[in-house]
Amino acid sequence: MNHVYIHIPFCRKICSYCDFCKIFYDENHADDYLDALEKEIKDFYMGEEINTIYIGGGTPSVLNYRELERLFNIINSFKRDVNCEFTFECNPEDINDVLLNILSSNGVNRISIGIESFNKEKLNLMERRSSYEDIKAKMNLIRYYGINNINLDLMYALPNEDLDILKNDLKQFIKLAPEHISTYSLIIEEHTKLNNENIKNIDEDLDAKMYDYICKKKKKKGYNHYEVSNFALNGKESAHNLAYWNNEEYYGFGLGAAGYMNGFRYENTRNLSDYLKGNYRSNEALLSKQEIMEYEVMLGLRKLKGINLQEFFDKYEINIQDAFPVKPLIRNKELIYKNGYLFINPEKIYVMNEILSKMI
Amino acid sequence: MDHIRNFCIIAHIDHGKSTLADRILEKTGALDKREMKDQVLDSMDLERERGITIKLNAVELNYKGYTLHLIDTPGHVDFSYEVSRSLAACDGALLVIDAAQGIEAQTLANLYLALNSDLTIIPVINKIDLPNADIPKVKKEIIDVLGFKEDEIVLCSGKTGEGIDNLLDAIVSRINPPKKMEDNKTRGLIFDSYFDAYRGVIASVAIKSGEIKKGDTLIMMSTGAEYQVIELGVNTPKEKLVDKLSSGSVGWISASIKTIDTVRVGDTITTKENKADNPLDGYKPMKPMVYSGIYPIEPNKYEALKESLEKLKLNDASLVFEPETSEALGFGFRCGFLGLLHMDIIEERIRREFNIDIIATSPSVIYEVRLTNGETIYIDNPCEMPDKVKINDILEPYVKASIFVPSEYIGPIMELCQEKRGIYITTEYIDLKRVNIIYELPLAEIVYDFFDKLKSYTKGYASFDYELSEYKVSNLVKMDILINGEVVDALSLIVHKDNAYHRGMQITKSLRSLIPRQLFEVPIQASIGSKIIARETISAMRKNVLAKCYGGDVTRKRKLLEKQKEGKKRMKMVGSVEVPPEAFLVVLSNE
Repeated sequence: MNHVYIHIPFCRKICSYCDFCKIFYDENHADDYLDALEKEIKDFYMGEEINTIYIGGGTPSVLNYRELERLFNIINSFKRDVNCEFTFECNPEDINDVLLNILSSNGVNRISIGIESFNKEKLNLMERRSSYEDIKAKMNLIRYYGINNINLDLMYALPNEDLDILKNDLKQFIKLAPEHISTYSLIIEEHTKLNNENIKNIDEDLDAKMYDYICKKKKKKGYNHYEVSNFALNGKESAHNLAYWNNEEYYGFGLGAAGYMNGFRYENTRNLSDYLKGNYRSNEALLSKQEIMEYEVMLGLRKLKGINLQEFFDKYEINIQDAFPVKPLIRNKELIYKNGYLFINPEKIYVMNEILSKMI
Repeated sequence: MDHIRNFCIIAHIDHGKSTLADRILEKTGALDKREMKDQVLDSMDLERERGITIKLNAVELNYKGYTLHLIDTPGHVDFSYEVSRSLAACDGALLVIDAAQGIEAQTLANLYLALNSDLTIIPVINKIDLPNADIPKVKKEIIDVLGFKEDEIVLCSGKTGEGIDNLLDAIVSRINPPKKMEDNKTRGLIFDSYFDAYRGVIASVAIKSGEIKKGDTLIMMSTGAEYQVIELGVNTPKEKLVDKLSSGSVGWISASIKTIDTVRVGDTITTKENKADNPLDGYKPMKPMVYSGIYPIEPNKYEALKESLEKLKLNDASLVFEPETSEALGFGFRCGFLGLLHMDIIEERIRREFNIDIIATSPSVIYEVRLTNGETIYIDNPCEMPDKVKINDILEPYVKASIFVPSEYIGPIMELCQEKRGIYITTEYIDLKRVNIIYELPLAEIVYDFFDKLKSYTKGYASFDYELSEYKVSNLVKMDILINGEVVDALSLIVHKDNAYHRGMQITKSLRSLIPRQLFEVPIQASIGSKIIARETISAMRKNVLAKCYGGDVTRKRKLLEKQKEGKKRMKMVGSVEVPPEAFLVVLSNE
């Protein structure tokens, strides 16, 4: 299986919590950027058949009509599997006929919308906008163009948020009936406006209570909790994201993108002028077998289904219990072994770092 | 002999003793300006940083045809025995008083020690260049409180050098030359010793009678141990080798001595060639007053810790230690110290010079326990306290403390001392504005938080000194601390029954804030016997997860995880609970 991530770093405005690689959109830069991106792909892509493509940002939907055509022109150089899952991230305000026409005619079959919330206070803090009615209309439009796989992002555990606010948000999200919902608690990252303003996380107990509520509610509404922060209707799990959690290799193209190819994990430069000059990679490291196995564990246990022990053995020629101190954790009921899978006790998924740090 | 003057400088901390010593060295030409490193006598980094002198040094100086020996003394109450020994090596003392601060607790304590050693005292008002110097006031204090005459007082500034000539003249004219002993047998007073990696133990000695030559056979009079003299020398302050040290001189001896235990401060050295029958007065072995357990945070550093203690002991005979095992902390050492400062210094040197992370358990005094079977035992570790039914009485050491404060603080000081179970003795007025309040206090309370409290009660205006007085019967109990239902031996302590409830609450509360949440709920309890007297609960950890973990940040998130793992390394496992090292000091702090 082969996967491609493409990063479009441009944004019309910068959200207060975002620590991804992003820069303000301007047309001159966009053209130069697409030139560099085209060259990067030409230099590194080895012609494999691609199973998933994910165009993320930044805000890919900020590109204009001409730039989008150019982008898809570049992407068409990938040899795509017929069932290729092709995701494009959109900001709600960018969704219109022109955009959707281009997306659908170029094979995009999954759209991810960063709504985050419908609550006014939450939106103010994040410095974002959205409304339920607008999103409802946009989703209808997306489906009109035949794209019937939609993800909505929901963010919770913002300062001053209480359980009622979350319940209300979640209710509206579910009512919109997306195929997939990603739900993240706010992380106050370094070098973000929130951090600079010294905003503090909400109480740990309330945060955990919110998470429990989210899990229960979505399960009740037919969403499968398949990864720590991800929920999907049956068969609509994100194949691209699962590639990460299955520790598969993938190309990462674009400013600040990360990739994992031929045993190397690499990161692209976050410096635009370096990138435009063709100095793509900022660092790369060849992983040892031990490190690869550690990634397998750290990523694999994010899936509620866990790690398939036979597959682990086939991949690494060692049993997981011989590579990691699994047994005491099973005894403690922190890990569970069942039907050939090793997974984190679902009750402890929200404290899984504690368990991971005892393993690796 | 008539042209020798042996003297020392005594002062309250920060009254400028070391700076004054530097200036004397400079004036007598022992060192020129270029060679002057500020405060030459304080050669250890730690000494410089804390502005105190820990190890003694002796320097030979020449002034107007006289040989002066300046013998440095430690300025802290913990080392009062060492002070008294170095005073015994002298015939006179400069009593240095800060021109702005006036007399302080240690001024008086040091004066008494010097008077006991029969020294000629020259009162010196130092730092007269300070803008807030109040010479008339300090003069009056010296006359009224210490009983000197006005014309005895020398004014000077260690900083500017003003008055140093007068001071040197006073040393020569007022201090007596060393006394001759009638039998002229060899007697040298050991007033310091240190370990040199190449030459073994070097003893600093003041020769009181007779002489010691290269090749002589030394005899330590308290133990009878014999050694061959290899090298003799004096410090000027540069080391200078000599062929002999004769009556009245002060210098050092090296004799291939391997362990510092055999060179005991206060002991008398004689020689086989000219053996004295009786030693000089005043020798007593040093006894630790405070004990604490020292454990490496990483168990595999045990050997390194052992080595570091052994190395420190080479230079410090007063440090005692023996292996100890704690269920909570594993293998470590029970260490005895002369006092709190001594303990602080040793712990800091282990961390700094030997680079070993350690946990020190809260310090304990030595309790005298009278058992029902008539036996008396001494314990320095709360864990060793026998069962209540076997105990008749527990006695604890008391100290006689003098506290110098401006008189407006009499109220707060009395309140503090009362709270610390003090017994009021008396109040002496130094002048209209300052008093010396004398209390008897349990040493355990001083070891606990008396210093900090004293500072905050008096805004730092109090000075404090104490000496051991006697053991008294107290209503003491052993309190245990339980984490997740298990007694943590390293946290057990002995408290006065009236304070037990309060301390139990304090300790459980601080432990709750110091111990991070675990995957399960952790009760923290304080108990006396089987009775729980306080309880706090650390609720279970609810969140520790990487919310988002996608292609872009996989590597960075793994680093985050590694950092968390690194943080766990320093934790001590108590049962299944991860406890940070700070938690073991909780018994000490009162927040």
